[in-house]
Formats: sequence, C-alpha cells, structure tokens
Amino acid sequence: MPTPSQKLPRTVLFVQRELAASFRARWFLVYSIAFLVSGLLLAAFGAGDVAIHGYRGFARAFAGLVHLALLFVPLMALFPATAAIAEERESGALEYLLAQPITFGEAFVGKWGGVSVAVFLALTIGFGAAGTVAVMRGVPVALLVALYGFVVLLALAFVSVGLLISTLVTSRARATTLGVLTWLILVALGSLGILVAFVRWGISENLLVLWSFANPVEAFRLGIVGILDADLSLLGPVGAQVMDRFGPVGTPALAAVTLVVWIVVPGLLGWLRFRRPA
Amino acid sequence: MIEARGVTKRFGSHAVLDGIDLQVKAGERVALLGLNGAGKTTLMRCLLGLIRYDGDLRIGERDVRAEPREARALLGYVPQRAPHFDGTLAEVVEFFGRLRGIERHVVLERLDSLGLSIAEHGSKTVATLSGGMLQKLLLALALGDDTPLLLLDEPTANLDPRARHEFLRALRRVDRRTTVLLASHRLADVQAVAERMLVLHHGGLVFDGTMHELWERVGATVTLWLRVPPNVRDEARDRLRTRYQLPSTAANGAAFGVCVVRGGGADVLVDLRKAGIPVEEFWTESPSLQDLLEGVLSPHGGVDAHS
Repeated sequence: MPTPSQKLPRTVLFVQRELAASFRARWFLVYSIAFLVSGLLLAAFGAGDVAIHGYRGFARAFAGLVHLALLFVPLMALFPATAAIAEERESGALEYLLAQPITFGEAFVGKWGGVSVAVFLALTIGFGAAGTVAVMRGVPVALLVALYGFVVLLALAFVSVGLLISTLVTSRARATTLGVLTWLILVALGSLGILVAFVRWGISENLLVLWSFANPVEAFRLGIVGILDADLSLLGPVGAQVMDRFGPVGTPALAAVTLVVWIVVPGLLGWLRFRRPA
Repeated sequence: MIEARGVTKRFGSHAVLDGIDLQVKAGERVALLGLNGAGKTTLMRCLLGLIRYDGDLRIGERDVRAEPREARALLGYVPQRAPHFDGTLAEVVEFFGRLRGIERHVVLERLDSLGLSIAEHGSKTVATLSGGMLQKLLLALALGDDTPLLLLDEPTANLDPRARHEFLRALRRVDRRTTVLLASHRLADVQAVAERMLVLHHGGLVFDGTMHELWERVGATVTLWLRVPPNVRDEARDRLRTRYQLPSTAANGAAFGVCVVRGGGADVLVDLRKAGIPVEEFWTESPSLQDLLEGVLSPHGGVDAHS
C-alpha cells in the first residue's frame, strides 16, 4: 500500500484490478492462446502465390489474419466486458465497491480501461507474434500496422458494447448470453443479413452502405478493404460499392470513424446507465 | 455526523422512506430497527449515495447527493453478506486499502487486532475464507484510519454464533469517537453495540430512544422460568399468581413461567425463598427484537416473551 504521496488515481486502481481479474480468468488465457496460435499458423502457412498491387505471396496470410480478427476479437472483448459489471452486481461486490470513496464515473472508466488494456495486451501479444511471422513471409509492415490499428478499434468498440450490456442486466449468465447473441448477430449474421437483404429484397445501395457501416464488424472489414485497395477476396457484397463511393482513402477513414463512434456511443450509454443509481 | 431532513425514497407509488428527519451526533451508537421492508437498508443505501432520494442528507459536512465521494470517504460500510472478491486476502486488502487511502500498516494492525493475520492468511484466496473472517476483513477496512462513521447493515446475519460473538467483541472495542449506525434483527447485537434505538415503520421514524425506553414503551416483560419440586409446585404457582402473570408451563410440566419486568426476577426468587419453597433451577427468556418491534408498532402496545 502506498504512502499518501504515492497514491494512484482511483481509476488506475480499477484498471489494475480489472487487468488482474482478466488475466486470472481461464477464458481469457484460452482465447489469447488460441488467437496467438491461430495467428501464427495462418501467418506461417497462409502465404500463397497471389499478387495484389505488386505485393506477392502474402494475400492469404493477410486475409487469414483479417478473418481471425473478425472472429476472435469481438469475442475476446465481449466476454470480459459483459462480465465486468454484471458479475459483480450479481455477487454484491459492486455495491460494496461503490460504497467506497469513488465516483460512479471513476468506477466505470476504470472498468472500461481495465478490460480494454487486458484485451489490448492479449491482442498485441498474439498479433505481434503472428505479425512478425507474416512480415517474414512477405506481408508489408505498413499493412500489418494498419490492420493492427483496426483490430484495436474493433476490440475497443466491442469492449464498449460489452460494458453497455453489462450495465443492463443483473446476472453474468444473462450478460454472457446477450454478448454471444450480439456476436452472433454482428459477426456471424451480419454479412449474411446484408447478402439476403440485397439479393432477396433488393434494398437500395444507399441503405446497403449505411447498413454495412452501422455494423462495427462490417466497418472493420470495409476499412481493411480500403487499405488493401480492392482485394476481391475480401471485398464481399458491399465492398465494391463502398470503394466506388469513398475511394481507397475515404473508405478506411470512414470505417475508422464508424468504429470510434461504436467505441464512444455504447460507452457513453453504458456510463449513463451505470451512473444512474438503482 | 448524520443529518437527514425530509428524506423520501419512492419505488413507484410506494414510499419506502417517507420524509425521514434524523440527527445522529458524532460518537453515538445507534441501532436502526424495523420489520422487514421498513426501510433500513434503503436508508443505508441513501447514506451510501447508491440510490436517488428526495430531501437532504449530510454526513459530517458533506452533502451525500452533491459530494458522494467525499461523503463516502467519511464512512466505512459492512454489508450483511461479504461479497465475492477475486484474488487473495493480501490482494483484496491492498486494493481496498489503496482505494480508501489507508496506510498499509494501519490495515494490517486492524486485521491483527481482529485476529486475522495477513502473515497467516494473506496468501489464501478470499473465496476460501470463512464468513466470520470475511466480515472481520470488511470491518478492518471499514474502520480504516479512524473512519468517523460505521454503517453496519446486519453484519452478523450470516455468521455462526462463535463468529458473531467475535465480531461483536471487535465492534465493542471500536474507538468511542466512531459513530456507529447498525441495522439489525438481533436483540443481542443491538444490546451489545447501541445506546440509541431508531425504529422505522412504513417509511417513517416511529421510535427514537434508548433500549430501556423501548422496553418501557411496549411494557415488555421477561419470562422467568422456575423449576421447583413437584410437591410444592401448586403452592408456588398459587403464591405467585397473586402478584404476577403465569402465562406458561413448559411442555413437560416440570417448569412454569412468570412474567416479570426487566430486572425483576430477583423479587420472585426472594419471595419463594421467604415462603420456604426451594427453587431447583431458573432461567430467563427475553422477548425477541421482533416482539419488541411488534409491541412498538401495535396500536395498543404491550409485549412479553410469549408474544
């Protein structure tokens, strides 16, 4: 414990606590190791003989990392975030925590920060290792850095979404269920929904683009497409439309802004819900 | 230390607290009593700034609504059930010590004084500690560096008799300058800790006084159980019936009860002795806190150990 002069801001104490809790959780280790191993395997064996804008031999490795991120990152962020508040509310720990000399805002920001740092570290380790191998296999560093940036934004967006869910329910089981449902809707069914809407109902192109950017996972995918500048294997049904409209600079920029909105808005809503006393 | 003016808390149209006015001076030991749903925990939560309320509530010089963090810095809280915490005892002590701004050695001294040594238990995960140890941990953290106000919400409700005894003993040793507000359903806890009783009912404060005044208010009596030799039992009963109520006989008929005022049992024993009636065994039975509360709340008052 500190002397008075060594006191840390209370928010930082919460960040440290959430960080420690995340690293103690088995799921976190499982996901982190799975992400690390999958990333390494994809980077090592995913290189193919496909050329994109002069780069050779990296498309499959890069696409593998993108799809790995699409699948894993939302889950890695959602699980700790949905548990962060609901679990402690369920056990009574939250009331005890909030009975301490802190503000609700400090507690919420501390929890958001703690989960974010934990996920960030896990991603950085996994991505760092896989990225190193990918670079050795010919993937340009600039592309990996851009992908890593989008991965972090995607993770933070899902941390905010997860924390919002966590403030809305009173048990961890419900929070986890809602988290998985969110993942299913946004990740697994997002592209399928767009495809069905386009093919079956023939929705307008404007609505299609709006729908795509409304989903953080699709925004992430479009951002990557923009960086790659038209890798058809990654474009998906909307990619070409978006690239036509916003171009190779506008598309990733818009995608990044969308993800930032997905970080801020659910985060704010979660904070508003959290600070409202029961 | 605590000042409440017109504190009202409604859940929908139901007022759990209905315009509570209250003052608790520094150093007072106050019990917050009431039947289930009377508003005790709700008042505690208002004091902790955990729920919204109407009216004014101050802890020390701090307005709970406007300065919740500063108000909470003046109090330590022990809930009914120790919450589940991840990590070891040492880690939990470290975190809450830092959060509350308490020096490490202060917390360790508190824990030692409560019989919970970090050297012995520090590496144990909190989940493996007994309920009594956890409540001691929370009490040590709540006491902190001479916290001015202790809020205790039925802190012994889930403890076994031994752990409850140890907890109450620790509580009695708390610095006299510390103000204590204890919500409890146990008469023994209240008598061990509090000098002033506040009774809440239907969101209002219906009694404010000492335990003695509470007994007087409800006209509560203690039942003195007597066992005398069978050949003089009828004589003893007839003799006592002229002066006391004899409402009960034990199930096996070997003992009978005499209603006496608090502290009045000795007169009965002297009376029997003068009459040459030997008493083989005697014991007393006090009314429960629930009985006392029901006595306060009933329109005509009155309660005894059999009610």
